[in-house]
Amino acid sequence: MDGRTFFRAFRGGGGGKNGMSELVRLTEVTKVYQGGITGALNGVSLIVEKGEFTAIMGPSGSGKSTLLNLVAGLDRPTSGSVAVGGTDLGKLGESGLARFRRDNIGFVFQFFYLLPNLTSLENVLIPAQLKGSDATARARELLGKLGIQDIADRFPARLSGGQQQRVAIARALINSPTLLLADEPTGALDTHTGDQVMELLGQLNRDGQTILLVTHDAKLATRHAARVISVMDGKIVDDARLESPERAASEVIRVRSEEASR
Amino acid sequence: MSLKFGVLGLLKGEPLHGYEVKNRFEAMLGGTWEVNIGQIYTTLQRLERDGLVRPIGRRGDRGKLQYELSPEGHKALDQWLAQPDSGPQQLHEDIYVKLLLATRIANGDLKGLLARQKRAYLQRLRDLNRLEERARRDGRVDLARLVRGALLHTEADLKWMDELSSERFGAEEGARTE
Repeated sequence: MDGRTFFRAFRGGGGGKNGMSELVRLTEVTKVYQGGITGALNGVSLIVEKGEFTAIMGPSGSGKSTLLNLVAGLDRPTSGSVAVGGTDLGKLGESGLARFRRDNIGFVFQFFYLLPNLTSLENVLIPAQLKGSDATARARELLGKLGIQDIADRFPARLSGGQQQRVAIARALINSPTLLLADEPTGALDTHTGDQVMELLGQLNRDGQTILLVTHDAKLATRHAARVISVMDGKIVDDARLESPERAASEVIRVRSEEASR
Repeated sequence: MSLKFGVLGLLKGEPLHGYEVKNRFEAMLGGTWEVNIGQIYTTLQRLERDGLVRPIGRRGDRGKLQYELSPEGHKALDQWLAQPDSGPQQLHEDIYVKLLLATRIANGDLKGLLARQKRAYLQRLRDLNRLEERARRDGRVDLARLVRGALLHTEADLKWMDELSSERFGAEEGARTE
């Protein structure tokens, strides 16, 4: 499928084309939850560059979703700082944070979170309406690009899981966010549908979208993300940048190299 | 073992000479197993000795000699295909021995070993993903299935590294190396 130029048209405002530039910076971030340690963060520092597709992996309760919520401005750190696109989120008040989220962040969740009494198109339009802009044409184009233009007027209850997640992705993209965050976006989908959703995210990234993905599916993570960050017990324990050379099959798999002679 | 049956399986379709067997075998394996022509001839000779294949035509230039499956060959192949792989699990890679040695040598401190190995598995997952993509693009569904198996195995290896890295397991190590 040749959606490259099409996707590029959706990229919205200026993304740093000239090499790497910093988009997210976490500095010594801790998050303490009262009454329990699960999901806590313990001194996390991290820089994400524009255009990167980064996967955050770790067992449940390791803090990976907390990390994502802090970057999204959905939650505030106990100490340390979170900056996105040069904006220190700690300096923003509640309404400033809401505006930041609306203008800069697209969020895709495991369970879609579509409003049941709105059609697909209306769901996609919510973030644009909050911004006060009419984006109906763009919403329809997005639905088309994601292969679900025919369900624009349907309600979520009449959609499959894969269709609902595509609607949620369109909603996340409607305001051309600088950063797309996805928390286990394939967690509620069957393998095949999950593959397709991840393929869409991969395509978006190839067209320049910066993506932070939380997952515990290492197979899917490594297919699309060139950077894999491992979180354990609230700490980053590994930050791997993977290579993508063309390798001969025999360099990757040997079915069997020795033959017992008989 | 599976070279022998791989050759039998290829000859089930039609009679082939040595080079055809080699080329088709390697094509079937999609480059994941390279054999030299000598191994193929040796295998064909053993199969002939055991009565599972027989040459067609007159013996001369061995490069031109075609082989076909004998009735016994058909039977042996069917039996082998029907049999599940039930032997011991084969752990070929060095990491299994490294782990045991590191447990003794480094007083149970496996951190570095596990971290490096985990990286290698992540990179392997990426390489396998690309290989699977290529296989699908080339219409090689059979090969894509094989790569999928390797992906799942590597995912399990990765989980193993994580399990060993977690403190729960780390703390138990060291005391029981003798």
